[in-house]
Parts: sequence; structure tokens; C-alpha cells
Amino acid sequence: MESVMCGDGFSTFFNSTVMPFTIYAGIITATIIAISFMIGRFLSNPKLTLWAKTELLQLFVSLGTVFVLTTMVSMVCNVSISEIADIFEVPNPGGGNVYDAAYQYLHDAALYSHNAITVTRYHLEAYTILSYFNAFICDYPIGRIGLGCFFGYSGDNQQPFGGYGAQIAALNMAFNSSIIAHFTALNFFFILQYAYNGFAFLFLPLGVFLRAMPYMRSFGSLLISLAVAFLLVYPLILGIFYIMSDKLLDADNDYAPSGIDMGKYSETIFASEEDAGSQLSASTLGEDYVKDTYLPSGTNDVPGALEFAAVAFIAAVFFPTIAMLATIASISYIARLYGDEIDLSRITQLV
Amino acid sequence: MIYKKLVLLLLLVPLAFAGWESLAAVAIVTSAIMLGVLYAVGMGFGVNELQLMAKEELFQLIALMIMMVVLVGANGLLNSLSSNQAFGGSLQDSAKSIITDTKAQVTDVFDLITIYDRQSSIEASKATQCNILGMGYSVSACGGFSMLATPLSMAGGIAGFAIGELAAMDRLIEISKVYALTFLLPFGIVLRTFKVSRGAGGFIIALAISMHLLLPIGVIFNEMMSATFLTDPAAAEYNKPPIATIPECNAADTKPPPFAGSNINSENIATLLEGSNEDRALGAYLGLRTDIRSYLAIMLIKATLGPVIALLLMMVGLRTLTSLAGAEVDVTALSRFV
Repeated sequence: MESVMCGDGFSTFFNSTVMPFTIYAGIITATIIAISFMIGRFLSNPKLTLWAKTELLQLFVSLGTVFVLTTMVSMVCNVSISEIADIFEVPNPGGGNVYDAAYQYLHDAALYSHNAITVTRYHLEAYTILSYFNAFICDYPIGRIGLGCFFGYSGDNQQPFGGYGAQIAALNMAFNSSIIAHFTALNFFFILQYAYNGFAFLFLPLGVFLRAMPYMRSFGSLLISLAVAFLLVYPLILGIFYIMSDKLLDADNDYAPSGIDMGKYSETIFASEEDAGSQLSASTLGEDYVKDTYLPSGTNDVPGALEFAAVAFIAAVFFPTIAMLATIASISYIARLYGDEIDLSRITQLV
Repeated sequence: MIYKKLVLLLLLVPLAFAGWESLAAVAIVTSAIMLGVLYAVGMGFGVNELQLMAKEELFQLIALMIMMVVLVGANGLLNSLSSNQAFGGSLQDSAKSIITDTKAQVTDVFDLITIYDRQSSIEASKATQCNILGMGYSVSACGGFSMLATPLSMAGGIAGFAIGELAAMDRLIEISKVYALTFLLPFGIVLRTFKVSRGAGGFIIALAISMHLLLPIGVIFNEMMSATFLTDPAAAEYNKPPIATIPECNAADTKPPPFAGSNINSENIATLLEGSNEDRALGAYLGLRTDIRSYLAIMLIKATLGPVIALLLMMVGLRTLTSLAGAEVDVTALSRFV
């Protein structure tokens, strides 16, 4: 598989889009600073010349950051996640570099939460169908045949599987939780891909330009800090969660908790409309036959489905949120490098 | 001369460690060299800010070295604390064992609720018909049982939520047992070495410690509280075996309820269960209502309150330790999951 971040496509994107933009931003900023310096000298205004000198230093700092960042990205591209696992003597999951590992973690978290949705939905559908099943028990029964229906229609009407409200209520909650987990995993996955292919790199030239503009230094610093944090810290934290996939995502059990065999949760087990034989059997052989058709051995595990939804939430919501919080924690530190204090409490509340 | 000795000393530091410690030591050395370069540039160009920053970072580096020494020293302490005999094994194993037991109890309660739910719904759905040559009647005298469906459905939802909560706790403790001290903590220390990743490093350090210690401690603490409470004579009401049964309903029986009035109370459940359809439905309801107390200890204290206490303890620890480790991050986003 081609690396998601460090392949030829990335090099083309970086060299043909990000680098020219950064160079243009640097040239435009330097021109503005030079003009300001000349005007300051022409008007004999020491404030303006001092401002121009200060901004020139800041411009070098910004451009230096871009250089350091690109160097660090190249370095991280060469760091294999297996090497990190070996250094810390934890089970080695294999895989490519840190960026690929971060991508893979969120991809697998989405798969894991989707498996949770599949298992929960399977139970939910089975119990919902069963709960609507009606049976007419003829009076004077001899086995499944009732004499009460020989000359008319005498017997009891009932819903033999009507009482699955408790299971359906619990499964509904688990189903909602799994969907939230899946959407959250996809959300974080999108943010990561967006960071790899878009916003983080485009923040760099913007940050270089804005840092040198009056009243915009904090904003420019925030943009550069965001770029650095999302290109270095966010993938790194997700990468270390990928190392923990064995326990976190049950990677060694086909991305399902032990005791749950995803192969058994096929969507095709339900009786089809054309399958008249099954319907005849269902009407004559009784409730247990119907239940076994919908929930054959090894698939009727409501507590297992509820547990799956819960652990999917941990893998797809709790840990990616931790990665995001760790990234935000780094942003304020990086911003301090540029001499700015950024209050991120509002941004954190968005997580 | 003194600088040469310092550099030599720094280069020897990695030799004193092994495994992740060597990586941390390399990170420290790299960081120290970068600080040296930064200080030299600041001194050479007369930029005081650079010199000040290098000095400040040197303090952070010293703090980090102290943290590493404390970790290497405290690793044994944490392990001995975790594997104290008072916990009957390691802290995490004890917590996992408590959660496994509680989960089994809650699953039993859930199964019982589903049995009650199914029985009561079958009875409620009954209607009898007699139709010969186009003439006949239809009677549904079991409507009284339908009142049980909604509370039983809600009870199933609560029990299902408790199962999920316990499973999530179990998974968190399992992860902390395998990775917190051996992977997350040292990795956090390495990350904390560099300014760019210092916030993340501090946060990961705090996460590792709070997950490894405070989460299982919360579970054990709650178990001790509930065990003490349940042995108290005042808790006898909560230890009674369940008595509820769902009687059979005769769909064609439309007799009025003879026990209506003052006799409808939990003392007369057995008599009610032998009465008319409405009496039987009331008897089932009263039995289930009385049984709620038998499940409260498991469902409310052990399965709901326990995980909440443990998670809150972990969040408080995470918040405090994050701030101690020098990272500034608002962990309320995680607290909202509780």
C-alpha cells in the first residue's frame, strides 16, 4: 500500500502547492516590511523602522518553522511504527510509518464500530420482527393442530414473541451508541485526512504572512501552531494507539470481541418472501422454529452485542478524543514558542 | 572545559538505561544539545529572549530527568502497590474480577427482566375467539398485563446500559493493565522532552497514571463501600430473593376483580395471583415492584455508581496530573462521557 502521507502524491502536493505559497507569502511579507522600513526612514519615524526590524526577525522565525516542520515531517515519514513498538517492548502490530499507523488506527476504529453496528442491528431487527409475530392457537389442540378450528375459528390469538421490549430498549440504546461511535471515528478520520491533504499545510503560508501583520500575530501563531500540532502530534498519538490495536480493537479476533464471530452475522439469514417452505414450516412447527430461524445458535447474544457497542465507544470515541486533547494541549505550548498565549479552553469545549 | 565535561556526561547518559529508558535518554541528550545551540546563538547574536528560553527549557529538562528517576524508582513502588496482598493479586486484577462478577450478576438480572417481559407480553397479547358459521365472539380480558410492558422495557434499557458501562470499564482496565506503565507512561515522558510535544506528553503521562491507579482504585473503593453497606442489618431489605411471578391469563375470563380496594398490597400477592385476570396482573405488578429493592444494590450501587465513581476519580486525577505535568488542557470533554 502506498503511504498516505509520504508518497509521490504528497511530494507533488507539497512542492507544487504548499512551497510556492509559502515562498510567495514570504516574499510579499518581506516586501511589506521593506516598504515599511523605507517609509519609516523617509518619515524619520523610529517606531516604524523598529517595527520593520522586529517583523523581519519574526519572518525568519516563521520561515524557519516551515523549514523545521518539513524536515520533521520527512523524519516522521521514516519512523516505522514497528520500531517504536520494539523500543517499548510491546507487541508489534506491523504497518508502515507513523502517518500510515494513525490512518490505519482510525480506519480500523471505524471498521470496529461498524461491526458493532452490524451485530447490534442484527439483534435489533431479529427481535423487532419476532415481537410482531402473531399466532392463533386453536382450541382443543392435539399437538400443533387444534380441533377448535375444524368447523370455524375458535381459539386464542396471541403474540408468542411479543415480550422483547426489554431487549429492544437495551439494543436501541446500544445501536445509537454504536452509530455515534462510528460517526465519531469517521469524523476524526476525516480530520486526519484533511490534515494530511489540506488545511495544515495551507495554514503555513497563511501563518507566515499573518504573523507579520499588525494585530494579527496571535492569529498567525495559532495557524502555525495548528499546522505543527496536526502534522506531528496528532498522528503520533493516534499511531501509538494503533500499537495498542490488539487490545483496543480486538485486531487479532477480526475486529470483534472474543465470543463474537462476525461471519455468523450475515444479512441473508432472514426468511425470504419466495421461501414458501420456510413460511409453511413457521406456521406449523411453532414458535421455537421461527426463533431458531431468526436467531440460530451462536447469534443470540444480546449481552455480547451490548458489550460490543460499549467497547466500540471506547475505541472510536474515547481514545481518538484523547488524541485530539493531547494535540490541543500541544498547540498552546507551540504557540508559546512564538511568544503568544492562546486560550484554547473554548476550542477544547468543541471536542 | 566545564562544557566539554557536561557534553561528555550527557553522551554517557544513554548507557545508564535500557529499552525505552535509552530512547528517553537520547531524547534528553538531543534536547540538551539543541538547548546548547540555542543558548550559543542567543549569546552570539545578543538575543536575550533566546538565552532566557534556553534557560527555561533547561529547567524543564531537569524536571524531566527527575521525573524519569522518579518513574524508574517508583515503577517498583507502583507495582508493589498494584500487587499488594490486600487486593488479592494486582490492583487491576482485583478490579477486573469485581467487574466480571458484577457483569455476571447484571446479566442474570437482565435475563430475568427479559423473561418477565416476555411472559407478561404474551399474557397481555392474548385474545380469545369463537366463530362458527360466521357467528361468534372475540374477548380480550388480559389488558391489565399490558401495564407491565413499559416499566419492564425501561428496566431492560437500564440493565443493558449497566452491562455496556461495565464492559467499557473492563476494557479500560485491561488496556491500562497491559499498556499504561509499560508503554503510555514512558512514551509520555519521551514526548514531554520536546517543547512541540510537551503538552501531549504531559497529558499522556497523566492519562497513564490515572488509568493505571485511579480507575481500579475507584472500582475497589466502591466494592468495599457496597459490601459494607450490604452486610449492615439496615440493608436487609435489599438482600431479599426476588418473589415476582407472571401468572397465566385466561383471555375469556371477564370476571370483575374481587380484591379491588384495601386488599391490594404486597402482603396479598399470593392471593391476588389466584384471583381474576385483573387481580393476577396486579399481583404480578406488586411482585415486580417489591423486587426492585432486591436489584438496587447490584444495578444502582455496583453497576452504575461504581463505574461513575471510578471514571470521575480517573478524570479528577487526569486533570490534576495534567496540570502537574505542565500541560494545559480542559478534560471536561472526557468528563462528559461519564
